[in-house]
Amino acid sequence: MRAIRRRLFAKSYIDTWFLLLMTAALLVAFRIAQPGWLNGHTVQNLVIQNTPLALVAMAMTFSIISRYIDLSPGSMIALSGAVIGLVYTAQGSLALAIAAGIGTALGAGLLNGFLVAVVGLNAVMVTLAAFIWARGLAIGANQGNPIDVGSGLSTVVNASWHGFTLTAPVVVVAYLGGWLLLSRTKMGRYTYAMGGDPTAARRAGINTAVYTVLIFLLMGAMIGASAVITVGQLGSAQATAGLGLELDAIIAVVIGGTRLAGGEGAVGRTALGVIFLSILNSGLLNLGLTDSYFQLYRGLALLAVLSVQIVVRRVTDEEERRKREQEQLSAALATA
Amino acid sequence: LSVDAGTVTGRRTLERALVADHIRRLAETLGIVAIAGALLLAFGLTSSQFLLSGNIRNIFVQISVVGVAAIGETIVLLAGGLDLSVGSVVLLSEVICADLTATHHLPLSVALLAALGAAGGIGLLNGVLVAVIGIEPILATLGTLLVAAGLAKLILGLRYLQVTDPVFNDLAVKNVLFNLPIMVAVMLGLYVVVSIAMRVTPFGRMVYAVGGNRRAARLSGLPLVGMTVAVYVVAGVLYGIAGFLNVAQIGLVSQNDGMGMEFQAIIAALVGGVSVTSGGVGRVERTLLGALIVGMMTNYQTIKGIDPAFQQAFLGGLLLAAILADRLLRGRQ
Repeated sequence: MRAIRRRLFAKSYIDTWFLLLMTAALLVAFRIAQPGWLNGHTVQNLVIQNTPLALVAMAMTFSIISRYIDLSPGSMIALSGAVIGLVYTAQGSLALAIAAGIGTALGAGLLNGFLVAVVGLNAVMVTLAAFIWARGLAIGANQGNPIDVGSGLSTVVNASWHGFTLTAPVVVVAYLGGWLLLSRTKMGRYTYAMGGDPTAARRAGINTAVYTVLIFLLMGAMIGASAVITVGQLGSAQATAGLGLELDAIIAVVIGGTRLAGGEGAVGRTALGVIFLSILNSGLLNLGLTDSYFQLYRGLALLAVLSVQIVVRRVTDEEERRKREQEQLSAALATA
Repeated sequence: LSVDAGTVTGRRTLERALVADHIRRLAETLGIVAIAGALLLAFGLTSSQFLLSGNIRNIFVQISVVGVAAIGETIVLLAGGLDLSVGSVVLLSEVICADLTATHHLPLSVALLAALGAAGGIGLLNGVLVAVIGIEPILATLGTLLVAAGLAKLILGLRYLQVTDPVFNDLAVKNVLFNLPIMVAVMLGLYVVVSIAMRVTPFGRMVYAVGGNRRAARLSGLPLVGMTVAVYVVAGVLYGIAGFLNVAQIGLVSQNDGMGMEFQAIIAALVGGVSVTSGGVGRVERTLLGALIVGMMTNYQTIKGIDPAFQQAFLGGLLLAAILADRLLRGRQ
């Protein structure tokens, strides 16, 4: 029992406890501000609205741990969606369109991965370029207008079962898969190794190029799934789909407790970060605020959480250090 | 570089390395000048309108706002940071300028001071969040992006603010330098001043020191926290000036002004050879060339009637080309 308690309250979980506290505070605050918001359908709506964020944030956990931050997902979701729309318009086959959309996402992941792993370019810059060119192509696909994909995909994606659509199991499977991949497989361990010390990882005989490409492909897969779901939910491909999603995903990962410096983190933490951010976004939206107050409150809330998180970390680090020093001192006194 | 300074061969190796370093730096600057020149030549040969003096004027007017914002972003990047709040601060400065002069009928000087103060204030917030609290720059400035945009839209509401003060019009229309308007002269003047300041003032040298090697800078006793805060404040004020110029250029302030300007500024700096990932690499004046190259490409595509969306796609490609060129020049890091 004591062992369990010690594990639960260990220093490495301090971020998690803090985040849970914040999430609870947020729920209470929104409950007071808008009593009708928290009802039987809240969870279902949260999942439906935030599926792309959840999927991209899962893959982003790998990106951040390995220090290959990916800025392209938002634009890539729009581009893959546009491809789905274009192929559907040209061929009339939904299966072909979806395959092409997912293929685009994987292909872009492969391209980014190749440029980073083989050519040796910096990941932030490569994906920043992709962030720009992919959005340009997505807007250019139909002069910025939505591309209709008929109702076939929508009926599948929006079919609900007790208020949950297909998206709920997709998110659950993605997170279970991501957790297994990161904590139980070679690829997961190498992800940590590459983020911790890339040179050491290479010298230890890890084929870093292959695993780097795999990390970008994982992101590509999540982008492809998000694109299909986004297009399905709206019944059309929108040029503005996924706008700002990459930064939201990074925030979710970091608020969850994964360090931006790389080498540590976990998928479960990202799940908590996504839950927090989803509640913040949906709750604020539900207050019916104007765009100005929405942005202002969101910015202040994020900065507050990030600041307090760092202060909490610093205080616990300090405590830890003091405790260690005291032990050393008493040990020295005992031997003297 | 291993140098045995005690021997003649060692000294010779060192000298040779220094000369090689000098040549490489010269090649980098000349390289970007050559690229700009080659583009100028190619565009001039393939379009009869491109080299007309009116069009050259257009290019300079079009890059002047982003150009000024890019100075701020470059300083932040050189100090090893990153600033995503550019566009929002530009919008905030625009809104304050326009609201105080057009709605409250205050003198322009007061409005400008207030706008630059607010812009510097957001910069101060960035600096405190990054240097004092210790949030990573990308997240801290993303937060202030939201805060500044929220504040600006709070003042603006759903209005379009039209400015009436004649100074705004003069800035954009009156020619001072050849046939270039005042706002372009302001941009060029800022580049000259900041480029020199980055070389000769303690501030400029400390920016390179802090960005180049943080640990060494701290061990040498440089005021890291103060420097970082100062860098973000200076950058904020520069975004404020950019906002002021943007009001002058458009004569109207609306909700979406400045949106995404952080990326345009980062691209100008990147194309100019500033490193986004490791501080201390790059020169302010080269960012101007980066902004000019981007401006020329955009202008040429507009002349040729290319869809703006595909112009954006080209811009992404250009950015990739710049990164590749950088990689070829400098080798794997």
